[in-house]
Amino acid sequence: MLALLEGGTYFHKEAIEGERLTGRFDRTIYAQELDAAALVGCDALIVADRIHPAVLRRKRPLLLSYLATGGTLIVLGENRAQDWAPGVAWEFRPTNFWWWLEKGTDPGHRIVAPGHEIFRHVGMGELVWHYHGLLTPPPGATSLVEITPEGDPHGKGGSILYDHRNVGGGPGRMIVTTLDPFYHHGSFFMPAASRFLGKLLDWTDEAFRASR
Amino acid sequence: MNDVALLDCEQAEGGVQDLIRDLVLGPRIALLPLYELERTDLAAFRGLLIGLHADQRYLSSRRTQLEGFLAQGGTIVVCGHVGHPFLAELHPFAPIPNYRVEDLEVNREAVHPVWEGVEMEHLSRRRGVAGFYGRGSNPPPPGARVLNSLGPGRHPVDFECRPAAGGRLLVHAGADLWGYHGSGSTADRIMPQLLDWITAPMEAW
Repeated sequence: MLALLEGGTYFHKEAIEGERLTGRFDRTIYAQELDAAALVGCDALIVADRIHPAVLRRKRPLLLSYLATGGTLIVLGENRAQDWAPGVAWEFRPTNFWWWLEKGTDPGHRIVAPGHEIFRHVGMGELVWHYHGLLTPPPGATSLVEITPEGDPHGKGGSILYDHRNVGGGPGRMIVTTLDPFYHHGSFFMPAASRFLGKLLDWTDEAFRASR
Repeated sequence: MNDVALLDCEQAEGGVQDLIRDLVLGPRIALLPLYELERTDLAAFRGLLIGLHADQRYLSSRRTQLEGFLAQGGTIVVCGHVGHPFLAELHPFAPIPNYRVEDLEVNREAVHPVWEGVEMEHLSRRRGVAGFYGRGSNPPPPGARVLNSLGPGRHPVDFECRPAAGGRLLVHAGADLWGYHGSGSTADRIMPQLLDWITAPMEAW
């Protein structure tokens, strides 16, 4: 059973209720109303991108106890996850909306764990667009998509998507990314972001919605 | 006293931080954490800026407070698409179906102090790329003045209206207008002119 945490914005509403994506979430939870009862039976909870971080900080104890009881959190970008989610180390990078204007430019994206289940659905065609900062996966996490040092304006490189099983030695799992597809999809802007969201949800259908 | 309050949503993108740091414009703006709205007396402000990241479900729950602010002559500026209509004059966003680049060209529909001296070309494209300014309409209510539109279909992208509750409402169906601050083009005129317009006496309609 897959639940979605949403922040009451127009772009969350469009993604949930719009005609382009339908029936992909078993339950949607308005972040301000998140309580323990809302998480009962949820195999995974997607934390949609660009929720007001103040709400996520306030709900941190609930999210931590959900992880501690074996839940999976799929945390999307621009949520200041480093302020409330365990193990998240994030560094700001300026957003480059224009990487594709120069033909032949390599923005530096690499799939570094091609055997991971998510890549049965998500491919480079869905991953290569702008991102909002770089992550350093904590020990025990598996980086899935990285930006090369050459592609990073700071010359360092880092991860934009990782899978962290057994968070803190417990049964919880976190998938973390700096991509923000709900915002762009729900704003009718940037087709690659809509494609990424669709493929991500194909994976969550397979992984967390057994009845399908 | 600050001229206006901007409801802050703690998002890096959108230009809020650059605006607040600005030596001239920054001091005119109070940064108000969104969920502090219910504990804030808006009577101290002439205007309220609401950006695209706002939790519109929360704003719907604050409708009485927002209407009270309008009733005392306040000006509300809404940027972004309307998802949850939180004022009577707001209606759900309608995208331009299957838009093409020419549908995203900005047309001036009426003279307005906020857009005075702003070249529409500087709104239509950023680094040659169209679509940042708007991709559809928040449908204007009856009696609204459409200020700017998009494409040959002239889809309203900016309107001003006089809400039933009182005051003024300015609505931009696109990314936050304060994101144009520091753009290095004539679009830089929008923010100072917006603050001046909010603080000037209300024009007769």
